[in-house]
Amino acid sequence: MTSSTTIELTRCEACHNRFLPTDGPCPKCGSADCVPYPISAVGRVLAATELHYPASGWQAPHRLALIELTDAVRVLAIVEERLPVPGALVEVRREGDVYKGRLEPA
Amino acid sequence: MTVHVASVGMGRFGKRAEGLIALGAEAANLALEGVGRKPVDLLVVGSMFAQGPHGREALLPRLASVLGLEAASGFRVDSSSGTGGMAFHAAVLALESGRFERALVIGAEKMTDRSTAEITKDLAASLHMSEVAAGATMPGLAAIVTSRYIQRYGLSDQICDIATVHARAMAATNPNAHFQKAVTLEEAAKSKPVALPLRLLHCSAISDGATAVVLERGAGPATVLGLGQGFDALRIVDREDLTGFAATRVAARRAYESAHLTRKEVEVLEVHDAFSPFLLMHLEDLGICGPGEGLEWFEKGWVGLSGRVPLNPSGGVVGRGHPVGASGLAEVAEVALQLRGEAGGHSIGKLPKVGLAQTISGIGSHNFVTILGKEGP
Repeated sequence: MTSSTTIELTRCEACHNRFLPTDGPCPKCGSADCVPYPISAVGRVLAATELHYPASGWQAPHRLALIELTDAVRVLAIVEERLPVPGALVEVRREGDVYKGRLEPA
Repeated sequence: MTVHVASVGMGRFGKRAEGLIALGAEAANLALEGVGRKPVDLLVVGSMFAQGPHGREALLPRLASVLGLEAASGFRVDSSSGTGGMAFHAAVLALESGRFERALVIGAEKMTDRSTAEITKDLAASLHMSEVAAGATMPGLAAIVTSRYIQRYGLSDQICDIATVHARAMAATNPNAHFQKAVTLEEAAKSKPVALPLRLLHCSAISDGATAVVLERGAGPATVLGLGQGFDALRIVDREDLTGFAATRVAARRAYESAHLTRKEVEVLEVHDAFSPFLLMHLEDLGICGPGEGLEWFEKGWVGLSGRVPLNPSGGVVGRGHPVGASGLAEVAEVALQLRGEAGGHSIGKLPKVGLAQTISGIGSHNFVTILGKEGP
């Protein structure tokens, strides 16, 4: 798990909010004046679940974790290895439309 | 202008043979009989699935026709699982405008004729697309919120079992509830996993049902004292806090302010426990107790039928069943029944002066708080 890996966020130039990229404007102030903002891809698990009936396209058991990155930005990521415990370190990457998290080896 | 709930009509919630129109009409006729079939000049109807996936268009004119209300005006509202709460608020505002004398509000849903997979997919339509793309469902995001709450306050998964036992014990006293049998902590803890820590008995059930109320100008034991609503970010990663629902806190503040009341005056609560651990969070968001103190209220029996503030005497969403378009109105209706002394077997054993109903839409993205009670000191 290298601290040099980054993940791209968006920063709002109007209110300085940092958030996961969306198709639209800043979710906080509505400004469209937003720029890419890379931060460390390593974060900590705040909460996690194992879904036995995930949304279509995914197989059970499907694990999702709410991960807190730098600047208190949060991401909902798929964690494939096991159900992570809160506090665990995870490296997050973007894969197509979704985020995936890789846990430190147990 | 003062408005009050003059009558309530509720049929049985659960697996019903009837279709959507018949369920809505059953509840509506009970409510209309309650006011001696006095003329109604406004019809407000809420249903989540009656259009689109279900192909049951023209719900409003169909109900108007079945009920002989073609001379009335009407609105149809939709706020996913909060639809019934929104329908009630819309009707109150319309009466308060002075344009109408008497409103019939109906919340209805038909769900059990469809597969769990279909329902899960349609409920997930009220979530943010990016989170559904990652595999999230309504129970999945509810599990994330519950996991965060447990972690934040150093609790265990047992809070889910404790909340379910409460809900099902209450439902067992309500003949209209989907579930008529209480459950044990062990049964809840060993039920099949849905989205851990949430298991089957922690989740509200797919259910058919309808509720109706008649609202009239003037005062009564169930006068509308305060209304409030609040939004929160649709994408849960954008929320400030995930140990409850900020949209409830905003709605509650507005409702208390408009009622000129504080949480200390609330004597009975009906809240939207789509998942049983939400009961603890709702108590906190409504200011009934402080952050992280919800569990104590269950352990000390303060939420019981004869406790400090009886919580969901009807069984709530987990116990009564969750026909999504009806639940929000059922919450308000149950408070009205308690205030009017018409709650029967699930009466809290005294006539409260003030009661509060809370409804959430989706995963708490648009929530409603309604305060009913006797006007004046």
